[in-house]
Amino acid sequence: MPTSDELIELVNAVALRSDRGAFSALFKHFAPRIKAYLMRSGMAPELAEELAQDTMVNVWRKAASFDSERAQVSTWIFTIARNLRVDHFRRAHLPAAADDRSAALGADDLDPLTLAVHDAPGPEEEMIAGRREAAVRNALRQLAPEQRQILWMSFYDEQSQTRISDELDIPLGTVKSRVRLAATHLRRLLQGIES
Amino acid sequence: MIRHHPGDELLLACAAGTLAAGEAIVLGAHLEGCAQCRASVRLFEAAGGTMLEAIEPALMLPEALASTLANIDRIPAPVARPAKVPLRRPSLPPGVKWPRSLAHCAASRWRWMGPGMRWSRIRVPHDPAAKLFLLRIGAGKSLAKHTHRGRELTHVMCGSFHDGRALFGAGDFDAADESVRHQPVLESDGECICLASVQSPLVFDGMIARWVGSLVGI
Repeated sequence: MPTSDELIELVNAVALRSDRGAFSALFKHFAPRIKAYLMRSGMAPELAEELAQDTMVNVWRKAASFDSERAQVSTWIFTIARNLRVDHFRRAHLPAAADDRSAALGADDLDPLTLAVHDAPGPEEEMIAGRREAAVRNALRQLAPEQRQILWMSFYDEQSQTRISDELDIPLGTVKSRVRLAATHLRRLLQGIES
Repeated sequence: MIRHHPGDELLLACAAGTLAAGEAIVLGAHLEGCAQCRASVRLFEAAGGTMLEAIEPALMLPEALASTLANIDRIPAPVARPAKVPLRRPSLPPGVKWPRSLAHCAASRWRWMGPGMRWSRIRVPHDPAAKLFLLRIGAGKSLAKHTHRGRELTHVMCGSFHDGRALFGAGDFDAADESVRHQPVLESDGECICLASVQSPLVFDGMIARWVGSLVGI
């Protein structure tokens, strides 16, 4: 498993030298994980394979925009895969007669956070940098196992909360309050790291 | 000063990419003015990255790397951007700006829904079924008492109102569901414009309120 510094080196090698060896190493590490994430989000394996490959093509094209001061490599790649997934479902649900304004929107055009930030991020937004990845992992380890499970499932699933409710055989209202608890607990732990 | 923020479950859903299009737009309007919530979303994105690291990898097809390497050389087909036709939108009071999250959305003219009350339907190009609208209510007026089926998200663009639970002003965010039955009453400091998304039509108390509700389809 490459360390987070090694991952940053690999992305930089792609950005600066179009290094195919570095890209292949990133691919071997991330593509199978992206595919797993998409499949757990309810996607068929063939589609998950295709979008995992698309995500890696985007990693190649956007490598120069990666900023290790703002996000770890895995976070950056997660947001690329997430945006492609949202974009895929959006297109799949569009009526055939949808206007071309919608067809022209790209996968990153609709991310609320990207849209919201038009200036350079302020100091309070200085992100968990790659070198603090271990701290994030630690914070996650401090969550109770069922809180971590709830948190992970919230990332995986389109109809996440309803499905969590069925899988764990607990009422939807309980899932909602557990998601809220897990999220709040995590935010507090991570903010403790930040300050 | 922002007093009301989205709950962590909404910020997490934003980071996970699981919000409906209309809800993502309302949340995005809040994020634009709230550095604190932007930072929270980034924290949850970092958790998403860590989740990606921790997940049991799936098996890629044997030719996956080779075909991806072949694809990275392909220059992406230029997307046919439509000619820059300005979006049709009604006018806003001086000093009030359209949230950036509505950058791709057109909105209807202001329509009458009662004395001192107007509304505008927002068209979300990537989700035509989204129930997203602006409410524009004059100073001192009140909205009919109502409850919700499903979730109602609101972002206050300007002005302020009190709904019996709390005071909401510009930049504030509110999430209400079945358990909330409220009657927003405007403060006297000027008209109020809210951006709101609902999952299903509001349920108004009283015959006339119900009639107005069905008239405007909110």
